[in-house]
Amino acid sequence: MNTFLAALSLGTSRGAIFALVALGLVIVWRGAGIVNFAQMGQAMFSTYIASTLITNGYSYWLAFFAALLSGAVLGALLDIFIMRPLSNKKQSELLSSESMRAAVPVIASLGILGALQALAGIIWAAEERGFPSPAKQEGFTVAGTVLPFTSFDVFVVSIVTVALILTTLFFTKTGIGLAMRATALNQEVAKLSGIRTNRTRTISWAISGAASSLAGLLITPTSNLSPNTLDLVLIVGFTAAVVGGLDSPVGAVLGGFILGMVISFVTFYDTPEDVFLAILAVLLAVLIIRPRGILGSKDARRV
Amino acid sequence: MLKIENLVTRFGSVVAIDGVSMQAQESKITTVIGANGAGKSTLLRTISGLEHPSSGSITWKGQSIIGKRPEDIVRLGIAHVPEGHAVISELSVEENISMGSLFRRRKFKSDITPAIDEMYELFPRLKERRKQLAGTLSGGERQMLAISRALVSRPQLLLLDEPSLGLAPLVVEQIIDSVNILCRSTGLSVLLVEQNANTALGVADHGVLLALGKVVADRPASELKADAKLRAAYLGY
Repeated sequence: MNTFLAALSLGTSRGAIFALVALGLVIVWRGAGIVNFAQMGQAMFSTYIASTLITNGYSYWLAFFAALLSGAVLGALLDIFIMRPLSNKKQSELLSSESMRAAVPVIASLGILGALQALAGIIWAAEERGFPSPAKQEGFTVAGTVLPFTSFDVFVVSIVTVALILTTLFFTKTGIGLAMRATALNQEVAKLSGIRTNRTRTISWAISGAASSLAGLLITPTSNLSPNTLDLVLIVGFTAAVVGGLDSPVGAVLGGFILGMVISFVTFYDTPEDVFLAILAVLLAVLIIRPRGILGSKDARRV
Repeated sequence: MLKIENLVTRFGSVVAIDGVSMQAQESKITTVIGANGAGKSTLLRTISGLEHPSSGSITWKGQSIIGKRPEDIVRLGIAHVPEGHAVISELSVEENISMGSLFRRRKFKSDITPAIDEMYELFPRLKERRKQLAGTLSGGERQMLAISRALVSRPQLLLLDEPSLGLAPLVVEQIIDSVNILCRSTGLSVLLVEQNANTALGVADHGVLLALGKVVADRPASELKADAKLRAAYLGY
Protein backbone atom coordinates (compact mmCIF):
# COMPACT_ATOMS: atom_id res chain seq x y z
CA MET A 1 0.00 0.00 0.00
CA ASN A 2 2.79 2.40 0.87
CA THR A 3 4.61 1.62 -2.32
CA PHE A 4 1.40 2.26 -4.22
CA LEU A 5 0.86 5.67 -2.61
CA ALA A 6 4.48 6.57 -3.18
CA ALA A 7 4.27 5.61 -6.85
CA LEU A 8 1.02 7.53 -7.21
CA SER A 9 2.42 10.72 -5.74
CA LEU A 10 5.65 10.60 -7.68
CA GLY A 11 3.64 9.92 -10.83
CA THR A 12 1.49 12.97 -10.16
CA SER A 13 4.35 15.38 -9.64
CA ARG A 14 6.42 14.08 -12.57
CA GLY A 15 3.29 13.88 -14.71
CA ALA A 16 2.49 17.51 -14.07
CA ILE A 17 5.85 18.57 -15.48
CA PHE A 18 5.56 16.36 -18.55
CA ALA A 19 2.09 17.82 -19.00
CA LEU A 20 3.53 21.33 -19.03
CA VAL A 21 6.17 20.39 -21.61
CA ALA A 22 3.53 18.72 -23.76
CA LEU A 23 1.33 21.79 -23.41
CA GLY A 24 4.13 23.98 -24.76
CA LEU A 25 4.53 21.67 -27.75
CA VAL A 26 0.79 21.75 -28.40
CA ILE A 27 0.75 25.57 -28.36
CA VAL A 28 3.36 25.83 -31.12
CA TRP A 29 1.68 23.00 -33.03
CA ARG A 30 -1.68 24.75 -32.89
CA GLY A 31 -0.34 28.21 -33.51
CA ALA A 32 2.39 27.59 -36.06
CA GLY A 33 1.84 24.04 -37.29
CA ILE A 34 5.25 22.65 -36.36
CA VAL A 35 6.75 20.38 -33.71
CA ASN A 36 9.37 22.41 -31.87
CA PHE A 37 12.21 20.27 -30.60
CA ALA A 38 14.14 23.36 -29.51
CA GLN A 39 11.60 23.95 -26.78
CA MET A 40 13.55 22.49 -23.89
CA GLY A 41 16.68 24.24 -25.15
CA GLN A 42 14.75 27.48 -24.79
CA ALA A 43 13.59 26.39 -21.32
CA MET A 44 17.14 25.51 -20.27
CA PHE A 45 18.39 28.87 -21.48
CA SER A 46 15.87 30.93 -19.56
CA THR A 47 16.34 28.81 -16.44
CA TYR A 48 20.05 29.65 -16.63
CA ILE A 49 19.11 33.31 -16.79
CA ALA A 50 17.00 32.86 -13.65
CA SER A 51 19.82 30.96 -11.99
CA THR A 52 22.29 33.75 -12.79
CA LEU A 53 19.94 36.36 -11.34
CA ILE A 54 19.49 34.35 -8.14
CA THR A 55 23.24 33.84 -7.78
CA ASN A 56 23.67 37.59 -8.06
CA GLY A 57 21.36 38.15 -5.12
CA TYR A 58 18.02 38.85 -6.77
CA SER A 59 14.88 37.27 -5.32
CA TYR A 60 13.47 33.97 -6.56
CA TRP A 61 10.27 35.54 -7.83
CA LEU A 62 12.03 38.27 -9.75
CA ALA A 63 14.17 35.59 -11.41
CA PHE A 64 11.05 33.47 -12.00
CA PHE A 65 9.27 36.19 -13.96
CA ALA A 66 12.46 37.26 -15.72
CA ALA A 67 12.82 33.67 -16.94
CA LEU A 68 9.24 33.60 -18.25
CA LEU A 69 9.80 36.90 -20.02
CA SER A 70 13.11 35.85 -21.53
CA GLY A 71 11.53 32.56 -22.61
CA ALA A 72 8.83 34.51 -24.45
CA VAL A 73 11.35 36.89 -26.03
CA LEU A 74 13.64 34.04 -27.11
CA GLY A 75 10.68 32.18 -28.62
CA ALA A 76 9.63 35.26 -30.58
CA LEU A 77 13.18 35.90 -31.79
CA LEU A 78 13.60 32.30 -32.99
CA ASP A 79 10.43 32.64 -35.01
CA ILE A 80 11.26 36.01 -36.50
CA PHE A 81 14.89 35.29 -37.40
CA ILE A 82 14.85 31.58 -38.20
CA MET A 83 11.41 30.09 -38.74
CA ARG A 84 9.83 32.94 -40.70
CA PRO A 85 12.61 33.26 -43.31
CA LEU A 86 12.56 29.46 -43.69
CA SER A 87 8.83 29.27 -44.32
CA ASN A 88 8.96 32.14 -46.81
CA LYS A 89 11.53 30.36 -48.95
CA LYS A 90 8.89 28.64 -51.00
CA GLN A 91 10.62 28.42 -54.32
CA SER A 92 13.93 27.03 -53.18
CA GLU A 93 14.77 23.74 -54.87
CA LEU A 94 15.27 22.06 -51.56
CA LEU A 95 11.69 22.77 -50.55
CA SER A 96 10.07 21.57 -53.73
CA SER A 97 8.10 18.73 -52.17
CA GLU A 98 5.35 19.15 -49.63
CA SER A 99 6.87 16.70 -47.16
CA MET A 100 10.24 18.43 -47.32
CA ARG A 101 8.57 21.73 -46.63
CA ALA A 102 7.00 20.24 -43.51
CA ALA A 103 10.28 18.67 -42.40
CA VAL A 104 12.47 21.76 -42.74
CA PRO A 105 11.21 23.66 -39.66
CA VAL A 106 11.43 20.49 -37.56
CA ILE A 107 15.04 19.93 -38.60
CA ALA A 108 15.73 23.61 -37.97
CA SER A 109 14.31 23.27 -34.45
CA LEU A 110 16.72 20.40 -33.78
CA GLY A 111 19.53 22.63 -34.99
CA ILE A 112 18.40 25.41 -32.68
CA LEU A 113 18.37 22.95 -29.77
CA GLY A 114 22.00 22.01 -30.46
CA ALA A 115 23.03 25.64 -30.85
CA LEU A 116 21.34 26.71 -27.61
CA GLN A 117 22.95 23.86 -25.69
CA ALA A 118 26.38 24.71 -27.05
CA LEU A 119 25.88 28.39 -26.32
CA ALA A 120 24.77 27.66 -22.75
CA GLY A 121 27.86 25.49 -22.32
CA ILE A 122 30.06 28.37 -23.47
CA ILE A 123 28.37 30.98 -21.29
CA TRP A 124 27.67 29.01 -18.12
CA ALA A 125 30.04 26.02 -18.36
CA ALA A 126 28.69 22.55 -18.93
CA GLU A 127 28.70 21.36 -15.32
CA GLU A 128 25.54 20.74 -13.31
CA ARG A 129 24.34 23.30 -10.84
CA GLY A 130 21.43 23.32 -8.43
CA PHE A 131 18.32 25.42 -8.84
CA PRO A 132 16.20 26.55 -5.89
CA SER A 133 12.58 25.64 -5.32
CA PRO A 134 10.02 28.20 -4.14
CA ALA A 135 8.37 25.72 -1.76
CA LYS A 136 9.49 23.13 0.74
CA GLN A 137 10.77 19.87 -0.65
CA GLU A 138 9.96 17.67 2.34
CA GLY A 139 7.49 14.90 1.72
CA PHE A 140 4.06 14.93 3.38
CA THR A 141 3.62 12.34 6.08
CA VAL A 142 0.56 10.09 5.85
CA ALA A 143 -0.03 7.45 8.55
CA GLY A 144 3.55 7.57 9.68
CA THR A 145 5.20 7.20 6.28
CA VAL A 146 6.84 10.00 4.37
CA LEU A 147 5.51 10.21 0.84
CA PRO A 148 7.53 11.51 -2.11
CA PHE A 149 4.97 14.30 -2.47
CA THR A 150 6.02 17.73 -1.27
CA SER A 151 4.58 21.25 -1.00
CA PHE A 152 6.62 21.96 -4.09
CA ASP A 153 4.72 19.21 -5.92
CA VAL A 154 1.45 20.82 -4.85
CA PHE A 155 2.77 24.06 -6.29
CA VAL A 156 3.69 22.32 -9.56
CA VAL A 157 0.34 20.58 -9.92
CA SER A 158 -1.61 23.79 -9.27
CA ILE A 159 0.48 25.75 -11.78
CA VAL A 160 -0.11 23.09 -14.41
CA THR A 161 -3.84 23.13 -13.72
CA VAL A 162 -3.98 26.91 -14.09
CA ALA A 163 -1.86 26.77 -17.26
CA LEU A 164 -4.18 24.17 -18.76
CA ILE A 165 -7.33 26.16 -18.00
CA LEU A 166 -5.81 29.38 -19.34
CA THR A 167 -4.55 27.70 -22.53
CA THR A 168 -7.90 26.07 -23.24
CA LEU A 169 -9.82 29.30 -22.67
CA PHE A 170 -7.28 31.23 -24.68
CA PHE A 171 -7.61 28.97 -27.71
CA THR A 172 -11.38 28.64 -27.68
CA LYS A 173 -12.66 31.94 -26.31
CA THR A 174 -10.35 34.67 -27.54
CA GLY A 175 -9.94 36.23 -30.95
CA ILE A 176 -6.18 35.83 -30.95
CA GLY A 177 -6.61 32.15 -30.04
CA LEU A 178 -8.93 31.69 -33.01
CA ALA A 179 -6.46 33.56 -35.23
CA MET A 180 -3.69 31.24 -34.04
CA ARG A 181 -5.67 28.10 -34.82
CA ALA A 182 -6.72 29.44 -38.23
CA THR A 183 -3.11 30.34 -39.07
CA ALA A 184 -1.85 26.85 -38.23
CA LEU A 185 -4.69 25.10 -40.08
CA ASN A 186 -4.89 27.07 -43.30
CA GLN A 187 -2.60 29.99 -43.81
CA GLU A 188 -4.15 31.15 -47.06
CA VAL A 189 -7.70 31.36 -45.75
CA ALA A 190 -6.37 32.98 -42.57
CA LYS A 191 -4.60 35.70 -44.56
CA LEU A 192 -7.63 36.29 -46.75
CA SER A 193 -9.64 36.73 -43.55
CA GLY A 194 -7.35 39.59 -42.59
CA ILE A 195 -5.34 37.71 -40.00
CA ARG A 196 -1.73 38.88 -39.78
CA THR A 197 -0.29 35.38 -39.87
CA ASN A 198 3.35 36.32 -39.31
CA ARG A 199 2.53 38.21 -36.15
CA THR A 200 0.16 35.47 -34.98
CA ARG A 201 2.83 32.82 -35.38
CA THR A 202 5.33 34.89 -33.42
CA ILE A 203 2.81 35.22 -30.58
CA SER A 204 2.43 31.40 -30.50
CA TRP A 205 6.20 31.04 -30.23
CA ALA A 206 6.34 33.60 -27.45
CA ILE A 207 3.59 31.96 -25.39
CA SER A 208 5.06 28.52 -25.92
CA GLY A 209 8.48 29.88 -24.96
CA ALA A 210 7.05 31.20 -21.70
CA ALA A 211 5.26 27.90 -21.02
CA SER A 212 8.39 25.84 -21.55
CA SER A 213 10.43 28.21 -19.40
CA LEU A 214 7.86 27.57 -16.71
CA ALA A 215 8.47 23.84 -17.17
CA GLY A 216 12.21 24.43 -16.91
CA LEU A 217 11.82 26.37 -13.66
CA LEU A 218 9.67 23.61 -12.19
CA ILE A 219 11.84 20.66 -13.24
CA THR A 220 15.29 21.92 -12.31
CA PRO A 221 14.79 21.99 -8.52
CA THR A 222 14.59 18.18 -8.65
CA SER A 223 16.88 17.46 -11.58
CA ASN A 224 19.61 20.13 -11.37
CA LEU A 225 20.55 22.36 -14.26
CA SER A 226 23.01 21.67 -17.07
CA PRO A 227 22.84 22.33 -20.80
CA ASN A 228 21.53 18.79 -21.38
CA THR A 229 19.41 18.04 -18.32
CA LEU A 230 16.15 18.73 -20.05
CA ASP A 231 16.68 16.42 -23.03
CA LEU A 232 15.00 13.49 -21.31
CA VAL A 233 12.11 15.65 -20.21
CA LEU A 234 11.61 16.77 -23.79
CA ILE A 235 11.51 13.18 -25.04
CA VAL A 236 8.91 12.21 -22.46
CA GLY A 237 6.99 15.47 -22.98
CA PHE A 238 6.91 14.91 -26.72
CA THR A 239 5.68 11.35 -26.21
CA ALA A 240 3.02 12.74 -23.88
CA ALA A 241 1.87 15.21 -26.52
CA VAL A 242 1.65 12.46 -29.14
CA VAL A 243 -0.16 10.11 -26.75
CA GLY A 244 -2.70 12.82 -25.85
CA GLY A 245 -3.13 14.10 -29.39
CA LEU A 246 -0.85 16.86 -30.66
CA ASP A 247 -3.59 19.43 -31.12
CA SER A 248 -5.40 19.04 -27.81
CA PRO A 249 -4.31 20.93 -24.66
CA VAL A 250 -6.40 18.62 -22.47
CA GLY A 251 -4.95 15.61 -24.27
CA ALA A 252 -1.42 16.90 -23.68
CA VAL A 253 -2.02 17.18 -19.95
CA LEU A 254 -3.66 13.77 -19.86
CA GLY A 255 -0.75 12.29 -21.80
CA GLY A 256 1.67 13.95 -19.38
CA PHE A 257 0.02 12.37 -16.35
CA ILE A 258 -0.29 8.96 -18.02
CA LEU A 259 3.45 8.92 -18.75
CA GLY A 260 4.25 10.25 -15.28
CA MET A 261 2.31 7.35 -13.77
CA VAL A 262 3.83 4.75 -16.11
CA ILE A 263 7.34 5.93 -15.30
CA SER A 264 6.69 6.09 -11.58
CA PHE A 265 4.97 2.69 -11.32
CA VAL A 266 7.62 0.98 -13.42
CA THR A 267 10.30 2.54 -11.21
CA PHE A 268 8.65 1.39 -8.00
CA TYR A 269 7.31 -2.03 -8.97
CA ASP A 270 9.83 -3.08 -11.59
CA THR A 271 13.22 -1.48 -12.11
CA PRO A 272 14.17 2.03 -13.30
CA GLU A 273 16.03 0.43 -16.20
CA ASP A 274 12.75 -0.57 -17.81
CA VAL A 275 11.35 2.96 -17.84
CA PHE A 276 12.27 3.69 -21.44
CA LEU A 277 10.94 0.37 -22.61
CA ALA A 278 7.64 1.24 -20.92
CA ILE A 279 7.51 4.68 -22.55
CA LEU A 280 8.14 3.11 -25.92
CA ALA A 281 5.44 0.52 -25.26
CA VAL A 282 2.87 3.22 -24.43
CA LEU A 283 3.81 5.20 -27.53
CA LEU A 284 3.57 2.14 -29.76
CA ALA A 285 0.26 1.08 -28.27
CA VAL A 286 -1.26 4.52 -28.88
CA LEU A 287 0.15 4.78 -32.40
CA ILE A 288 -1.27 1.37 -33.29
CA ILE A 289 -4.66 1.60 -31.59
CA ARG A 290 -5.39 5.31 -31.99
CA PRO A 291 -2.80 7.06 -34.18
CA ARG A 292 -4.32 10.49 -33.72
CA GLY A 293 -3.78 10.34 -29.95
CA ILE A 294 -6.32 9.98 -27.17
CA LEU A 295 -8.01 13.35 -27.67
CA GLY A 296 -6.50 14.43 -30.98
CA SER A 297 -8.70 15.31 -33.89
CA LYS A 298 -8.47 13.65 -37.28
CA ASP A 299 -5.77 14.87 -39.69
CA ALA A 300 -4.05 16.66 -36.87
CA ARG A 301 -0.73 15.06 -37.53
CA ARG A 302 1.10 15.18 -40.80
CA VAL A 303 4.69 15.38 -39.65
CA MET B 1 -13.49 51.26 -58.92
CA LEU B 2 -10.93 48.49 -59.49
CA LYS B 3 -8.75 49.10 -62.49
CA ILE B 4 -6.29 46.59 -63.90
CA GLU B 5 -3.79 47.57 -66.58
CA ASN B 6 -1.39 45.40 -68.57
CA LEU B 7 -1.18 42.89 -65.75
CA VAL B 8 1.30 40.02 -66.16
CA THR B 9 1.61 37.17 -63.65
CA ARG B 10 4.05 34.32 -64.16
CA PHE B 11 4.72 31.00 -62.48
CA GLY B 12 8.34 30.35 -63.35
CA SER B 13 8.39 30.35 -67.14
CA VAL B 14 4.62 29.94 -67.49
CA VAL B 15 2.74 33.16 -68.15
CA ALA B 16 -0.68 32.75 -66.51
CA ILE B 17 -1.87 36.33 -66.98
CA ASP B 18 -0.55 37.93 -70.13
CA GLY B 19 -1.21 41.66 -70.27
CA VAL B 20 -4.76 41.86 -68.93
CA SER B 21 -6.53 45.21 -68.72
CA MET B 22 -10.05 45.39 -67.30
CA GLN B 23 -12.23 47.03 -64.68
CA ALA B 24 -14.72 46.11 -62.00
CA GLN B 25 -17.44 48.72 -61.81
CA GLU B 26 -18.98 50.06 -58.64
CA SER B 27 -22.12 48.25 -57.45
CA LYS B 28 -22.11 46.02 -60.51
CA ILE B 29 -21.45 42.36 -61.08
CA THR B 30 -18.54 41.87 -63.45
CA THR B 31 -17.87 38.33 -64.54
CA VAL B 32 -14.67 36.84 -65.88
CA ILE B 33 -15.39 33.74 -67.94
CA GLY B 34 -13.19 31.41 -69.90
CA ALA B 35 -12.09 27.81 -70.20
CA ASN B 36 -10.06 25.92 -67.65
CA GLY B 37 -6.52 27.33 -67.54
CA ALA B 38 -7.48 30.72 -68.99
CA GLY B 39 -5.97 32.44 -65.95
CA LYS B 40 -9.21 33.39 -64.20
CA SER B 41 -8.22 32.20 -60.73
CA THR B 42 -4.72 33.64 -61.06
CA LEU B 43 -6.28 36.99 -61.89
CA LEU B 44 -8.26 37.00 -58.64
CA ARG B 45 -5.31 35.69 -56.65
CA THR B 46 -3.15 38.50 -58.01
CA ILE B 47 -5.75 41.11 -57.05
CA SER B 48 -6.03 39.82 -53.49
CA GLY B 49 -2.25 39.70 -53.05
CA LEU B 50 -1.80 35.92 -52.95
CA GLU B 51 0.29 36.04 -56.13
CA HIS B 52 2.72 38.76 -57.14
CA PRO B 53 2.51 40.17 -60.67
CA SER B 54 5.70 40.69 -62.65
CA SER B 55 4.39 43.85 -64.30
CA GLY B 56 1.29 45.97 -64.78
CA SER B 57 -0.86 47.86 -62.31
CA ILE B 58 -3.88 47.27 -60.09
CA THR B 59 -5.55 50.40 -58.81
CA TRP B 60 -8.23 50.35 -56.15
CA LYS B 61 -10.08 53.65 -55.63
CA GLY B 62 -7.20 55.49 -57.25
CA GLN B 63 -4.51 53.84 -55.14
CA SER B 64 -2.12 51.12 -56.27
CA ILE B 65 -2.46 47.89 -54.31
CA ILE B 66 0.41 46.04 -55.92
CA GLY B 67 2.88 44.63 -53.41
CA LYS B 68 0.42 44.79 -50.53
CA ARG B 69 -0.17 41.67 -48.43
CA PRO B 70 -3.48 39.79 -48.61
CA GLU B 71 -4.26 40.68 -44.98
CA ASP B 72 -3.90 44.39 -45.80
CA ILE B 73 -5.90 44.18 -49.02
CA VAL B 74 -8.89 42.79 -47.04
CA ARG B 75 -8.60 45.83 -44.82
CA LEU B 76 -8.97 48.06 -47.88
CA GLY B 77 -12.34 46.46 -48.63
CA ILE B 78 -11.55 43.69 -51.11
CA ALA B 79 -12.60 40.23 -49.92
CA HIS B 80 -11.62 37.10 -51.82
CA VAL B 81 -13.43 33.76 -51.75
CA PRO B 82 -10.90 31.43 -53.35
CA GLU B 83 -11.73 28.39 -55.44
CA GLY B 84 -12.89 25.17 -53.81
CA HIS B 85 -15.17 26.19 -50.91
CA ALA B 86 -12.29 27.59 -48.90
CA VAL B 87 -13.29 27.12 -45.30
CA ILE B 88 -11.31 25.64 -42.41
CA SER B 89 -12.81 22.19 -41.86
CA GLU B 90 -11.43 21.79 -38.33
CA LEU B 91 -13.16 24.97 -37.08
CA SER B 92 -16.85 25.35 -36.37
CA VAL B 93 -19.20 27.24 -38.67
CA GLU B 94 -19.36 30.12 -36.22
CA GLU B 95 -15.57 30.24 -35.86
CA ASN B 96 -15.16 30.31 -39.62
CA ILE B 97 -17.48 33.28 -39.89
CA SER B 98 -16.08 35.23 -36.97
CA MET B 99 -12.58 34.63 -38.29
CA GLY B 100 -13.44 37.04 -41.10
CA SER B 101 -14.38 39.76 -38.64
CA LEU B 102 -11.41 39.44 -36.29
CA PHE B 103 -9.49 42.34 -37.82
CA ARG B 104 -12.47 44.68 -37.35
CA ARG B 105 -12.80 43.98 -33.63
CA ARG B 106 -10.96 47.06 -32.46
CA LYS B 107 -12.36 49.72 -34.75
CA PHE B 108 -15.88 48.43 -35.27
CA LYS B 109 -16.55 46.56 -32.08
CA SER B 110 -20.30 47.20 -32.01
CA ASP B 111 -20.71 46.00 -35.59
CA ILE B 112 -19.29 42.49 -35.17
CA THR B 113 -22.40 40.72 -33.86
CA PRO B 114 -24.77 42.44 -36.33
CA ALA B 115 -22.46 41.53 -39.21
CA ILE B 116 -22.42 37.87 -38.17
CA ASP B 117 -26.19 37.85 -37.69
CA GLU B 118 -26.64 39.23 -41.20
CA MET B 119 -24.75 36.22 -42.55
CA TYR B 120 -27.12 33.89 -40.71
CA GLU B 121 -30.04 35.80 -42.20
CA LEU B 122 -28.57 35.50 -45.68
CA PHE B 123 -27.91 31.78 -45.23
CA PRO B 124 -30.24 30.45 -42.50
CA ARG B 125 -28.87 26.93 -42.94
CA LEU B 126 -25.58 28.08 -41.49
CA LYS B 127 -27.33 29.25 -38.35
CA GLU B 128 -28.79 25.80 -37.77
CA ARG B 129 -25.31 24.37 -38.04
CA ARG B 130 -23.31 27.03 -36.24
CA LYS B 131 -21.74 24.69 -33.69
CA GLN B 132 -20.85 22.01 -36.25
CA LEU B 133 -17.38 21.65 -37.68
CA ALA B 134 -17.18 23.12 -41.18
CA GLY B 135 -15.83 19.79 -42.42
CA THR B 136 -19.22 18.17 -41.77
CA LEU B 137 -21.10 20.54 -44.10
CA SER B 138 -22.31 19.75 -47.60
CA GLY B 139 -20.57 21.35 -50.57
CA GLY B 140 -23.23 24.02 -50.96
CA GLU B 141 -23.18 24.90 -47.28
CA ARG B 142 -19.42 25.14 -47.37
CA GLN B 143 -19.61 27.60 -50.25
CA MET B 144 -22.16 29.65 -48.33
CA LEU B 145 -19.82 29.61 -45.36
CA ALA B 146 -16.85 30.69 -47.47
CA ILE B 147 -18.88 33.58 -48.85
CA SER B 148 -20.07 34.56 -45.36
CA ARG B 149 -16.51 34.50 -44.10
CA ALA B 150 -15.64 37.04 -46.79
CA LEU B 151 -18.77 39.18 -46.46
CA VAL B 152 -18.54 39.55 -42.70
CA SER B 153 -15.51 41.79 -43.27
CA ARG B 154 -17.98 44.20 -44.95
CA PRO B 155 -16.10 44.48 -48.23
CA GLN B 156 -16.90 46.90 -51.03
CA LEU B 157 -15.65 44.43 -53.61
CA LEU B 158 -16.19 40.68 -53.45
CA LEU B 159 -13.90 38.43 -55.50
CA LEU B 160 -15.76 35.19 -56.03
CA ASP B 161 -13.90 32.27 -57.60
CA GLU B 162 -16.00 29.50 -59.20
CA PRO B 163 -18.77 29.32 -56.61
CA SER B 164 -20.53 26.74 -58.79
CA LEU B 165 -17.64 24.26 -58.72
CA GLY B 166 -18.88 20.79 -57.85
CA LEU B 167 -22.35 21.90 -56.77
CA ALA B 168 -25.82 20.83 -57.88
CA PRO B 169 -27.56 23.31 -60.27
CA LEU B 170 -30.25 24.15 -57.72
CA VAL B 171 -27.66 25.03 -55.08
CA VAL B 172 -25.68 27.08 -57.59
CA GLU B 173 -28.80 29.05 -58.42
CA GLN B 174 -29.49 29.69 -54.75
CA ILE B 175 -25.97 30.94 -54.08
CA ILE B 176 -25.80 33.12 -57.18
CA ASP B 177 -29.23 34.55 -56.31
CA SER B 178 -28.07 35.49 -52.83
CA VAL B 179 -25.02 37.26 -54.22
CA ASN B 180 -27.15 39.03 -56.80
CA ILE B 181 -29.66 40.25 -54.21
CA LEU B 182 -26.81 41.42 -52.00
CA CYS B 183 -25.24 43.37 -54.85
CA ARG B 184 -28.51 45.03 -55.84
CA SER B 185 -29.63 45.84 -52.30
CA THR B 186 -26.37 46.93 -50.66
CA GLY B 187 -24.37 48.21 -53.60
CA LEU B 188 -21.67 45.59 -53.18
CA SER B 189 -19.42 45.24 -56.23
CA VAL B 190 -18.71 41.71 -57.35
CA LEU B 191 -16.01 40.23 -59.53
CA LEU B 192 -17.28 36.76 -60.37
CA VAL B 193 -15.02 34.17 -61.98
CA GLU B 194 -16.89 31.30 -63.59
CA GLN B 195 -16.38 28.42 -65.93
CA ASN B 196 -20.13 28.06 -66.06
CA ALA B 197 -20.58 31.00 -68.46
CA ASN B 198 -24.34 30.76 -68.82
CA THR B 199 -25.03 31.13 -65.13
CA ALA B 200 -22.49 33.91 -64.77
CA LEU B 201 -23.62 35.95 -67.78
CA GLY B 202 -27.24 35.51 -66.66
CA VAL B 203 -26.62 37.49 -63.52
CA ALA B 204 -23.74 39.80 -64.44
CA ASP B 205 -23.84 43.35 -65.82
CA HIS B 206 -20.56 43.09 -67.59
CA GLY B 207 -18.52 40.20 -68.94
CA VAL B 208 -14.86 39.70 -69.69
CA LEU B 209 -13.81 36.67 -71.71
CA LEU B 210 -10.34 35.37 -70.98
CA ALA B 211 -8.36 32.88 -73.08
CA LEU B 212 -4.80 31.76 -72.36
CA GLY B 213 -4.23 34.73 -70.08
CA LYS B 214 -5.45 37.36 -72.53
CA VAL B 215 -8.66 39.36 -72.75
CA VAL B 216 -10.61 38.26 -75.83
CA ALA B 217 -13.79 40.22 -75.25
CA ASP B 218 -14.89 42.90 -72.79
CA ARG B 219 -18.57 43.79 -73.22
CA PRO B 220 -21.94 44.05 -71.50
CA ALA B 221 -22.98 40.61 -70.31
CA SER B 222 -26.11 40.48 -72.46
CA GLU B 223 -24.09 41.12 -75.64
CA LEU B 224 -21.55 38.50 -74.73
CA LYS B 225 -24.31 36.03 -74.03
CA ALA B 226 -25.87 36.64 -77.43
CA ASP B 227 -22.63 36.24 -79.38
CA ALA B 228 -22.88 32.65 -80.58
CA LYS B 229 -19.63 32.79 -82.54
CA LEU B 230 -17.58 33.83 -79.53
CA ARG B 231 -19.19 31.18 -77.37
CA ALA B 232 -18.56 28.44 -79.87
CA ALA B 233 -14.93 29.48 -80.28
CA TYR B 234 -13.96 29.92 -76.67
CA LEU B 235 -16.46 28.13 -74.47
CA GLY B 236 -17.26 25.16 -76.64
CA TYR B 237 -21.04 25.41 -76.93
